[in-house]
Amino acid sequence: MEKAAKAGLLKSSTDNGAGGLSSSIGELAEITGGAVVELGNAPLKYHGLQPWEIFVSESQERMSFVVEPDKKDALFDMARDFEVEVTDIGYFTNSGYLDIRYKEERAAYLDLDFMHNAVPKKYMEAEWKTPELQEPGIVDADNNDILLQLMGSLNICSKDPVIRVYDHEVKGKTIIKPLMGENGNAPQDAGVIRINHKDFTGVAVSNGIIPRYGDIDAYEMSAGSFDEAIRQIIAVGGKLPNPNEKDGIFWTVNDNFCVPDSLYDENKNPDGKYKLAQLVKMNEALYDMATYFNIPLTSGKDSMKNDFKKGNVKISVPPTILYSMAAKIDDVRKTITSDFKEAGDVIYQVGKTYNELGGSECYALFDVLGANVPKVRKDDAKRIYDKMAKANEQKLIASAHDISDGGLAVALAESAFGGNKGCSLSISETEIGVLAELFAESHSRFVVSVPEGKAKDFEKLFDKDCKKLGFVNNEDNMTIIIEGEEVINSKIRDLFEAWGKGLRK
Amino acid sequence: MVKALVVTGFGINCEEEMAAAYQLLGAEATILHLNELFQERDSIHNYDILNFPGGFSFGDDIGSAKVLANKFKFKKMHSGKLFIDEISKFLKDGKYIIGVCNGFQALVKMGLLPNIGGNYEQEVTLTNNASGKFEDRWVHCSITPDNPTPFLSDKSITGMDLPVRHGEGKLIIRDDEIRSAILEKKLNVLTYTDKEGNSTVDYPANPNGSELNCAGLCDISGQVFGLMPHPEAYLSLYNHPDWAGKKRTNPNISEDGEGMMIFRNIISKIESKN
Repeated sequence: MEKAAKAGLLKSSTDNGAGGLSSSIGELAEITGGAVVELGNAPLKYHGLQPWEIFVSESQERMSFVVEPDKKDALFDMARDFEVEVTDIGYFTNSGYLDIRYKEERAAYLDLDFMHNAVPKKYMEAEWKTPELQEPGIVDADNNDILLQLMGSLNICSKDPVIRVYDHEVKGKTIIKPLMGENGNAPQDAGVIRINHKDFTGVAVSNGIIPRYGDIDAYEMSAGSFDEAIRQIIAVGGKLPNPNEKDGIFWTVNDNFCVPDSLYDENKNPDGKYKLAQLVKMNEALYDMATYFNIPLTSGKDSMKNDFKKGNVKISVPPTILYSMAAKIDDVRKTITSDFKEAGDVIYQVGKTYNELGGSECYALFDVLGANVPKVRKDDAKRIYDKMAKANEQKLIASAHDISDGGLAVALAESAFGGNKGCSLSISETEIGVLAELFAESHSRFVVSVPEGKAKDFEKLFDKDCKKLGFVNNEDNMTIIIEGEEVINSKIRDLFEAWGKGLRK
Repeated sequence: MVKALVVTGFGINCEEEMAAAYQLLGAEATILHLNELFQERDSIHNYDILNFPGGFSFGDDIGSAKVLANKFKFKKMHSGKLFIDEISKFLKDGKYIIGVCNGFQALVKMGLLPNIGGNYEQEVTLTNNASGKFEDRWVHCSITPDNPTPFLSDKSITGMDLPVRHGEGKLIIRDDEIRSAILEKKLNVLTYTDKEGNSTVDYPANPNGSELNCAGLCDISGQVFGLMPHPEAYLSLYNHPDWAGKKRTNPNISEDGEGMMIFRNIISKIESKN
């Protein structure tokens, strides 16, 4: 296809996904106003398929091509060379009809306007009720034990067993990979791939998804997932798009909805109105974030009926949205990895932690939801992300890791894994308490390490947006002191072991 | 100008980076679908070096590169000539062949490596990794001193880091006779080692459990070279998983990847002959 397209043989093409030919040809026919399809020509894997089956089959690895008549021979010759099956199955018209034939018979004859525009509009009701939730009182927590359990928990643990059974090096252009560092143990925040082998332009790719928050507030869940995708790209050295600057830095995002049925039915779906309200809020957040950060949605997918029913049991998925983001990177050589580099480097927390343990991995260990879900503060986020990009431009950053599941303590541990490093940190005073400082998942934050000689410039740039925590060292240890009390004293080796075993249980 | 031919088609997917290796070093690289050779619209004789890149040719059906090896070995071209006879002539003319990963598997299964008997009989095979899984990781390989292949002729380099990505990389040798010949003639030119540089069978330093901990072979002439790791995926410093650590330690470090060395060596060799 690549070769055919470059040779100008393909006018248009579309894949055959849901609905197969009926979708691909049905949609393409809208352009000219009609098509004639000869289903009898379609190559089949076995006999006996009915015309309607041929037309709606979702058999994989098929593309539909639009080819001008004078290009047909060249395309078919090229396909023969590549041993790719190409078949002529019809032509476009402007008759206003989708004319489907099977050998000598007429299989279907559909008015195109009816087909595309006549679906009756469904009107659904949404009703939002703020859930009544409480913050639990968790006392006498063993913070070291919480951290150890978090490292091994499913959302946080190492995905090495999955990462290593797929090829992420093919094409020889992968600059930031899922696991890097001396021993291939350091988890990274976003993927970065070079465009070609000659220059150093590249693309960063990230994914934001936090379904747990939706049980508290679907708006914050959606906004938070969007922020997560952005900060992952900022962490590897990306720069926010600025429509006022002609710097060619483009970003784009795809959304992927996975939600339960939101059509109210007294018996079958009594909370349908609430579910639809959640969906509406997810979209409101999408709109607010995309327009604020100038990141356009260029595509997406939706899966809207995800419920399991058996007898009297109905299990609905939590409303979930995945944001997959891509951003241009000017020079991949200036990207940043997340692992601590050298003993003596200064460690900072960039961004502010709030009393926001609602929906956190920490609370999940205690089987509680909480109420204070992390909120996205867009103005703060933008200011911080701009400063991160500036810091990178000034070559101030040795490592950067975004803070997400499990909060600060987890991000610190992950930063230590890569180069057999440890860290010793201290927070002199806190308004939010030890548990929140360590494990809250407030958005738009990073663990950043800075060579000692650059610390002064870093602090000047970030001002109140950074908090000095401590230093990288060569010990097999992470110690954190809060208000004079040692709250974490864990061996990196133990944390790494728990993290590595998470999926192998 | 050194001319490299990089073949593609049927599920081979590493041709772009293979060609880039030569282009970055100032040589000419042409990517051709195998059918263009079989249709005789071009000939391997127009090139100095034939490259069989990595990929999933024929979906690894009946064994990685089995179908590809059969195609190379038994294909009758458009004019009636056998493709394998062209390969024989190509080698008799003193030219070079390199096979990476799926390409290495093809060379081994068509008997071009190690080809100790000299009549294209299969003497070793590459089969399922000992772990039973596809392995995508970086390894360290040592280069056997005084080996016969010009691909590894730079004596100042004794080893290199390289990425592996394969499901069937475990080398099994047919019998003791072949094994002795391989060792005696130093045909096992690349070996998986631990961090200290010692040959190892331990996983994951040895990602597949190959006999002799062997990562790459050449034939007796040294003209044919095959390896499971991917040098063409380490053309730049920035391919290495610890590039950021390396750069921090040595800000003036070269931006070339260690994989370049293999291509640089063969280009030098060809240029010195022309």
